[in-house]
Amino acid sequence: MASDSLELLQGTLDVLVLRALVWGEMHGYAVSRWIRQRTDGVIEIEDAPLYKALHRLERAGSVEASWGLSENNRRARFYKLTAAGRRTLREEERAWRRYAEAVFKVLEPA
Amino acid sequence: MSRHFFRFPWRTRRQIGADVDEELRFHLDMRAAELRSLGMSPEAARAEAMRQFGDLDDARRYLNAVDRATEVAHQRTELMGDLRQDLVYALRKLGAAPAFTITVALTLALGIGANTAIFSVVHAVLLQPLPFFQPDRIVRMGFVYNGAPDAGAPPELNDFRTRSHTVRSFAMYSGASVNLVREGADPELLRGVRVSANWFRILGITAAHGRTFVDGEDLEGAARVAILSDAVWRRDFNADPAVVGRVIRLSGEQVTVIGVMPRDRAYPLTAELWLPLVFKTSELAQSRGSRYLSMIGRLAPGVSVAQAERELSQIGASLALEYPRFYRSLAIQPQPLQTAIVSDLERPLLVIMGAVAFVLLIACANVANLLLVRASARESEMAVRAALGAGRSRLARQLITETMLLSLLGALGGLLLARWGMTALLRLAPTSLPLVGAARLDPMTLGLTIVVAVVTGLVFGLIPAAQLGTDVATALRAGSRGVRSSHLTTRTRGGIVVAEVALAVTLLVGAGLLLRSFERLLSVDPGFRPDSVLTFRVSLPARSYESDTAQRMFVDALTPRLEALPGVRQAAVASVLPLDGSDLTLSFAIRGRPPVPPNEEPATQVLSATPGFFSAMGIPVVRGRLYTREAQPGTPKEIVVSRAFVQHFFPNEDPLGRYVDLGWYVDGDRRGGTIVGVVGDVKQVGLDQETPPMLYLPYAQAPQSNLRVLLRTHVPPSSLTKPAQAALRDIDGELPVFSIRPLGDYVTASIGPQRFYATLVTVFAIVALALAAIGLYGVIAYAVSQRAHELGVRLALGATGRRLAAMVIGEGLSLTLGGLVVGIVVAAAVSRVIGSLLFGVSALDPITIGAVLMVLLVVAALASYVPARRAARVDPLVAMRGD
Repeated sequence: MASDSLELLQGTLDVLVLRALVWGEMHGYAVSRWIRQRTDGVIEIEDAPLYKALHRLERAGSVEASWGLSENNRRARFYKLTAAGRRTLREEERAWRRYAEAVFKVLEPA
Repeated sequence: MSRHFFRFPWRTRRQIGADVDEELRFHLDMRAAELRSLGMSPEAARAEAMRQFGDLDDARRYLNAVDRATEVAHQRTELMGDLRQDLVYALRKLGAAPAFTITVALTLALGIGANTAIFSVVHAVLLQPLPFFQPDRIVRMGFVYNGAPDAGAPPELNDFRTRSHTVRSFAMYSGASVNLVREGADPELLRGVRVSANWFRILGITAAHGRTFVDGEDLEGAARVAILSDAVWRRDFNADPAVVGRVIRLSGEQVTVIGVMPRDRAYPLTAELWLPLVFKTSELAQSRGSRYLSMIGRLAPGVSVAQAERELSQIGASLALEYPRFYRSLAIQPQPLQTAIVSDLERPLLVIMGAVAFVLLIACANVANLLLVRASARESEMAVRAALGAGRSRLARQLITETMLLSLLGALGGLLLARWGMTALLRLAPTSLPLVGAARLDPMTLGLTIVVAVVTGLVFGLIPAAQLGTDVATALRAGSRGVRSSHLTTRTRGGIVVAEVALAVTLLVGAGLLLRSFERLLSVDPGFRPDSVLTFRVSLPARSYESDTAQRMFVDALTPRLEALPGVRQAAVASVLPLDGSDLTLSFAIRGRPPVPPNEEPATQVLSATPGFFSAMGIPVVRGRLYTREAQPGTPKEIVVSRAFVQHFFPNEDPLGRYVDLGWYVDGDRRGGTIVGVVGDVKQVGLDQETPPMLYLPYAQAPQSNLRVLLRTHVPPSSLTKPAQAALRDIDGELPVFSIRPLGDYVTASIGPQRFYATLVTVFAIVALALAAIGLYGVIAYAVSQRAHELGVRLALGATGRRLAAMVIGEGLSLTLGGLVVGIVVAAAVSRVIGSLLFGVSALDPITIGAVLMVLLVVAALASYVPARRAARVDPLVAMRGD
């Protein structure tokens, strides 16, 4: 049971990260901030698993990393969605929505 | 895909670690700054940032591991992508220049194919161990009897068996031709060998069917048994395993077949039948003088050949002390069996291997030249690619891919050529060369081909790669015209041509010397006229022709019957034919001279022949007369000797009328006779050998059972094959006729190996010459095309086309001359190696060297002439405008 929830969490985090990158290149810190703002602090996400997810996605070919300059002129590692990443995101989104709708159907009073 | 053109350099482990650290530091700094802006103290902000991050060390480890895997994957896909790109590009480039591609591939194919074919032969003969158990422990003994190489005598087998500790077991053998008579088939003469019973145990081979000999089967009174070779078993017994145990008729005796040997695993290699070597008790008791046996042995564990030689020769010395009546001295020279079998082939094969290696070198030099020319023609292409961001190593890899592809094409062509060449080679090879027939294109030779191809690809890919200019700007400025090839590359190319010519000269000199030797050999007078004579062998079996009378009566009946055949001018019978590798050497004494100790008697080759032999062979009478048909048993014994016999034994005396006693006793009668005549010398052993002293006995007074029949004809000799066989069958239907061939075939066969070697080396020399000419042509033609501008200026300034052509040819010739000088020096050094293969020609034969110089100069002039004509026709306007 415990390992199941971890897997779910990991998968969830991957979707969130991919979603964050839809609008363009971002460095890791920006991704972290974007997710915090969008979840209104409802989900407390540590940064360590976030970076793990970013590098794992790079290995899988969903994102591409390159060094660039941040808004305050420091060298930062920027991440960009690849075509394969966009495809993954679409599929994951669809799966999540179907899952959530199913759960809502159960919870809604008949 | 963009990574291929603008990619980041590959990251090391340390760089990955540094990148991870920098990324994490950036994150923590940003988070801390954000928290500070919310009013936190710097220390608190940093601590909070750390807390929000989570397990930093664990994350760092994880990120490092993942990034390393990512990096490896990137490198791999990039390399594969590059390779595919290189291959596609190379194929396109090679396809765009088909003339270049075909020339290079064919050149390499020639070099690789010739080497593969010859190496398979070298491998089969010299490198592949004999198919016996621990073959390097088997030795063949050479006997040195009274200071001269000789064979062994029957009692010596036991002497060595009982006295030697360095050799574990000994066996003796001698050749024995036997007639095989089968129901409903022509009788047949088989090449048999008589061997000691432990023969096959020493070799360590077993029978394919049945068994080999067991102890005691070589003792007097044992049952008669025989072992068949695979070839005879298939040819005469339909490969029927049930032949084991069957009784067959061999030379009139009933013999039981006990086994069949496997194919390719038998010794002697050409034996068709093995019989036990049985010594009669009388033979063992005293016949140390009758030396006709060969001996092999297996060394005891840990004993070297040299140790065995020392011990065996000591035993020989003590035998000489014990039996002074028979020996002046006896030494034994053991030799590893393989060495003993192939020692005659080693030198020629290595020379031929050297010749093909030269061909490969010349082929490679040519390819290098072509690649250099191509590389300088592509300098601007390379410069453009470099300017667009291709690294030097990337360009080098591209070039190497191209040449590798070329060499693989060459290897493929080479394999096809080798397969075809092997067939031709095996057909050309004389059957007298041992083991050559076993040559195959096996995995070993295939492997060698591939290695050679890969190495040539690497080496010749690197040469143009090394020429890649680093100075992109200069290359680009030179524009579409391409870069003036530097002085250095011109010199490199010139050097390559000089080397090529030198190699070709060396090969041509070697081939020329071998050809001259061969021609000398052909012009040697054998002492007889080999044309228009048909010969065949008949072996009279002891069972029905045991007595001299029976043998004589057979010959008396045969000769007139053969002479009655239409087309036959004369028929004759002799015991031995010249150049057939068999002889009978006997000691003798001249009456009236002081007696000589038994072991210091002179020896001569002895031959029994009917009186017609001399005119049938065309051997002239020099002095006196021939013996006649009147020489019969009971009449005075007469003999004829050769001129060499007189020179050796009657240097200052008249031989006619002198009486010679031979060391050949039959029923208490001693053979010999009065010399009635002297005949011309005959090359008995080989055209390149001395003529030995010969003594001829009238067949009627000294009959033998192994007969050579000669028919001098006035029709083509082969047309008499059938009638002669029929005539023989009329006399005795059980006699096989064997080795039916014109006398000329013996002459041809005796120089077969020399013909083979000379042919091979000549073929390779011609290939080398052609390749060198192509190389020279390529360099001169390229130089002319590169210098079109200069030539145009010269023309505009008044030079004539003739002058320009002469200049170009002069350049070609000067390169050739350089190669000639180097080549002659190398050839002089190398020809000493082939000295032992030459006959009647010095290794520095001026005629050969002169001819080679002429040939090369003519070829070089021709190779330069074509580009020179182009130079003479340069249009000055076009040439200068084109700049």
